[in-house]
Amino acid sequence: MEIEGQTFAEKFDLFGCIQCGKCTGGCPISMKSSLNIRRLVYESIMRESNESIFEMPELWDCTTCATCSLRCPKGVEPADVIIGMRNLLVEEGRLQTTIRDALESIFKNGNPWGRIRDKRSEWQEGLKIKNFSEGQSAQILYFVGCTPAYDPRLQETAKSLSKCFDRAGVDFGTLGNEETCCGNEVRRMGEGGLFEMLVEDNSSLFKKYKIEKMVTTSPHCYNTFKNEYPETGFQVQHYTQFVSELIKQGRLTFSKEIAKVVTYQDPCFLGKQNDIYDEPRMIIESIPGVKFLDMDRSRERSLCCEGGGGRMWVEASYTGERLAEVRVKDAVSMGAEILATACPFCLLTLEDAVKTTGNEEKIQVKDIMELVAEAI
Amino acid sequence: MELVVCIKRVPDTSEAEVVIAPDERSIKEDRLPFDINEADNYATEEAILLKEKYGGSVTVVTVGKEDSKEQLRACLAKGADRAIRLDDEKFAGSDGYAIAKILHASIKDLKFDLVLTGCLADDDGYGQVGVQLAQLLGIPHACLVTKIEVQDKRARVHRELEGGLDEVLDIELPAVLAVQTGINEPRYASFKGIREAMKKEIKVLGLADIGLKPEDVGEPGSKIRLEKLFVPPVGERAQVLEGTPEETATRLAEILKEKGLI
Repeated sequence: MEIEGQTFAEKFDLFGCIQCGKCTGGCPISMKSSLNIRRLVYESIMRESNESIFEMPELWDCTTCATCSLRCPKGVEPADVIIGMRNLLVEEGRLQTTIRDALESIFKNGNPWGRIRDKRSEWQEGLKIKNFSEGQSAQILYFVGCTPAYDPRLQETAKSLSKCFDRAGVDFGTLGNEETCCGNEVRRMGEGGLFEMLVEDNSSLFKKYKIEKMVTTSPHCYNTFKNEYPETGFQVQHYTQFVSELIKQGRLTFSKEIAKVVTYQDPCFLGKQNDIYDEPRMIIESIPGVKFLDMDRSRERSLCCEGGGGRMWVEASYTGERLAEVRVKDAVSMGAEILATACPFCLLTLEDAVKTTGNEEKIQVKDIMELVAEAI
Repeated sequence: MELVVCIKRVPDTSEAEVVIAPDERSIKEDRLPFDINEADNYATEEAILLKEKYGGSVTVVTVGKEDSKEQLRACLAKGADRAIRLDDEKFAGSDGYAIAKILHASIKDLKFDLVLTGCLADDDGYGQVGVQLAQLLGIPHACLVTKIEVQDKRARVHRELEGGLDEVLDIELPAVLAVQTGINEPRYASFKGIREAMKKEIKVLGLADIGLKPEDVGEPGSKIRLEKLFVPPVGERAQVLEGTPEETATRLAEILKEKGLI
């Protein structure tokens, strides 16, 4: 198969693949989906024509959690093959309507949710948060992200984070309505051209406001700014890194107890893809009264919530129990009363799973920042 | 098969607050996102599908200012072959009839088997252009079209009627078909495709180029003059629910139950 005038093998450096199958063995959805990443890598090397991808709805099942890349003994990154195939589908315009609508909305409105730009900063009304786009400046840019900016449930995370920043005396501001999608999911949905446009637009916006340090709500935004934006000239941290420092420095102290058993879902883009495992746990454990329990499958062995790689905008080709449901059941069975996470997508998928598994009385899903805001 | 599609750039007001401009005859557009008119998007897709099936070419036409290049480019990226943008300051204030005259003047000398339009514009909602264009071209037409099958020089066309009824017509080509939304699934125009489409020419024609006179277009050439736009006063029975989403949803469910609607 070919992409941009190169074979898949050249483009994604697949010659190292020994077909051992560790990628498929580690893939969280291979048990449910006909997607077989080992076979896809093989076929992308062996097949001459690209045609077969047009008959593979399972290409959209991949959550780009990158467990396959993490476990590959030869350093191959199999998930890139899927992104490459999605790239070809995007160029042909042959996409499921929900993916199409999300991408068109990002181009038109700067967010995938079909919402207008003018309402992006509505959540911060009355909160006295500085706004770079209105001429104010601050030491730290808080990059809110599309989902926390627009989703009423996730706005609670953004508000909690702002409350904690205020309490710790952090000089921060947002880009207000000028903030635009970071492009992490765009790249993974195969829309490389739109991703490049976002990189260019965002980079010049950060330059315009002389941004030196940025903190993100979402591990997805963090990942792309950190690893995929070229020469950014600014330092980026996920909030778990920044807030754990505030706690260590004694700038953020707690005054209330949360006497609950808490467990934690490692977001793939924070843990597996960026090795941030300790900071979120440190924050949770520093809250007075909390009894923290790790799940059996945690850290590098953590189970994806199925919210990444564009999956927020497309249903899988398979049915059956969702991984978020498996996760909620695991958490309930170990006696956790709160399932904490540090990712907007994890929060939404897990909260849905609490409802669909009928566990609303037993467990709550919270963002770590909500717990911190409650306890300060 | 030679196809012509007429499209329009319209503001997306689905969520935006619509503010009436001081002239009271237009709305403030500076903060609104714009897009191709929804039904026109379906018409464009249908034309490209017909081209893919029967061969030929697709020409996209719009009456619009410089910024409608964005919509034309997206059509070119999806598979249209050429584009025409009709732009002249004299076109301002044109009603559906004057727009139909402008479109007619620009496409009457083209070779075509089918002219597709959307059935209704999302902004003014007149739904006149397709029908009047057919009248001016002197060819048959159908509106609210939900299916098109071409057989030689004829087309079998499905129309959506009220009450879920379907009307099937046998129409002689060339014809004008005003397409209803939902006739297909419009494809995605990739960013790369749009950039490549910049190589394709967009022909710009003004009043003189299409052989019309100032009195044919704009307000002098129109049958309708927009007098005034205003926000309708809130009716007595209208009720705005306030509170959290949980509270308003609960109250709404109660009201629907009280009225026996659910």
